Amino acid sequence: MLELRLVQGSLLKKVLEAIRELVTDANFDCSGTGFSLQAMDSSHVALVALLLRSEGFEHYRCDRNLSMGMNLNNMAKMLRCAGNDDIITIKADDGSDTVTFMFESPNQDKIADFEMKLMDIDSEHLGIPDSEYQAIVRMPSSEFSRICKDLSSIGDTVIISVTKEGVKFSTAGDIGTANIVCRQNKTVDKPEDATIIEMQEPVSLTFALRYMNSFTKASPLSEQVTISLSSELPVVVEYKIAEMGYIRFYLAPKIEEDEEMKS
Amino acid sequence: MGIKGLTKLLADNAPKAMKEQKFESYFGRRIAVDASMSIYQFLIVVGRTGMETLTNEAGEVTSHLQGMFNRTIRLLEAGIKPVYVFDGKPPDLKKQELAKRYSKREDATKELTEAVEEGDKDAIEKFSKRTVKVTKQHNEECKRLLRLMGVPVVEAPCEAEAECAALCINDMVYAVASEDMDSLTFGAPRFLRHLMDPSSKKIPVMEFEVAKVLEELELTMDQFIDLCILSGCDYCDSIKGIGGQTALKLIRQHGSIESILENINKDRYQIPEDWPYQEARRLFKEPNVTLDIPELKWNAPDEEGLVQFLVKENGFNQDRVTKAIEKIKFAKNKSSQGRLESFFKPVVSTSVPLKRKDTSEKPTKAVANKKTKGAGGKKK
Repeated sequence: MLELRLVQGSLLKKVLEAIRELVTDANFDCSGTGFSLQAMDSSHVALVALLLRSEGFEHYRCDRNLSMGMNLNNMAKMLRCAGNDDIITIKADDGSDTVTFMFESPNQDKIADFEMKLMDIDSEHLGIPDSEYQAIVRMPSSEFSRICKDLSSIGDTVIISVTKEGVKFSTAGDIGTANIVCRQNKTVDKPEDATIIEMQEPVSLTFALRYMNSFTKASPLSEQVTISLSSELPVVVEYKIAEMGYIRFYLAPKIEEDEEMKS
Repeated sequence: MGIKGLTKLLADNAPKAMKEQKFESYFGRRIAVDASMSIYQFLIVVGRTGMETLTNEAGEVTSHLQGMFNRTIRLLEAGIKPVYVFDGKPPDLKKQELAKRYSKREDATKELTEAVEEGDKDAIEKFSKRTVKVTKQHNEECKRLLRLMGVPVVEAPCEAEAECAALCINDMVYAVASEDMDSLTFGAPRFLRHLMDPSSKKIPVMEFEVAKVLEELELTMDQFIDLCILSGCDYCDSIKGIGGQTALKLIRQHGSIESILENINKDRYQIPEDWPYQEARRLFKEPNVTLDIPELKWNAPDEEGLVQFLVKENGFNQDRVTKAIEKIKFAKNKSSQGRLESFFKPVVSTSVPLKRKDTSEKPTKAVANKKTKGAGGKKK
């Protein structure tokens, strides 16, 4: 038996919009701690990890650890039918092959039940160790989104380099090159406008912009984005979900030619 | 060609063993390609209208070169590292099958002549395709082309599919690409179909995993080989009246061809006389392959060599070839995309699926049974 009541229903809608471009089918895992998801894109280059902690729900009942396979496009279709102010409840019975999304309007005058068929999905879970990152950049999510969008009109990869000067995003394409440098900036009126760079060591990595652009679909969830970089590790692009958890995207870097291609 | 009806049999009985994949997702992977099969397809498809094919000034066919050149560039551009494997000497058992194909070609040639006399366009198209044969010269020209392009070529001692499978079993390549289902019978752990199809067809790559095939069919590898022999392979006849589905049932029931032969009704099913199924089985289990091959290397293309061979000797358009060479060079310079598995290791999930749906959709499985599944234990 599973029953999760989320007063801020729009949040779930935003979560879905943020990940459905990257993955089509995924297993949602439900445990005493919270409602989570881990899934990779089909080429295993990017991974999304979502956590919505149980405390963030108005009511949270999950008798045992469960996973529910869902087609995210279908789920998004149903969630689009919920109003932005609606309260969303996710319900499933043991042994059932469906999940129910219940939408209640704020003044309780309308209740809608959407029942969706579950899928059987074979998915691999990856163990992600906690790592110390060489550089952590926090910046406004809208700014990061803009940078990725702008650069992808020039090239298809972005080099992210963090130095004492700041963080530099650069690309090159047929028509030319582009470099955008963001400096640390803590003296802002609103904390969400700040750009904060914590650097242990300078680092520079190359990534496919296509994936970065799809990560920025999570911008509506959070005013700020955190980008954690280490050479030899996938980048983590994290959007915090207020009082509930996070959505983290991991992206494997592009690597220089291996020896066999050089010879 | 290959194993009769195996694709359908697997689609019906082992749907989880086949996965549609995007062509693009194979970047960075080494893939062994059954060259002879590809050349045959190119000769049939590339640049053909009726009896006309692409030729050079001397009137020799160049469809295979055109096809090989373009498709290989497509693979390289996607970051795939192809290894082409060419057929060696066919095994003795296959000679019968080859003789059959030869006589079919003879018939087609005759019918083609008739069709030409009658001016029947559809028939000309149909029969001229059937007269296609891959010659030694086609093979040699393709090898020369590939070497000029910097792509490794492997010459199999015997069957190319068997050699491809051996490379894959020994982790020298990630997967085998062919259209011939016997790659699975040879035990290629990962087998891809439609990788070499033109992009215009927009057919996704179909990936088969032999381990999953066996798991889903509930057979051992030996039994699977027997199943393929019964379904109909290139090496020997099969029993009349037994197709894939019946063969699967019989193998599941009796375990091996020997035991089936002891148990089936010999009046109903005619067992071929001198049926060399054991020999066929041996060819699948212990094929003549070699791992003693030069190191697989992808080199820079030989620009002058390519221009000489394609433009001067075979009448290709100079501009196109130059552009294509640029593409190869560009593809090589691109840094390659990493995969998450090289950083993070898989772990077992502790969650129990709310409901495992039975994808094989066997009506015999009682619904009530499923409810109890996974209900107990496994709580951590």
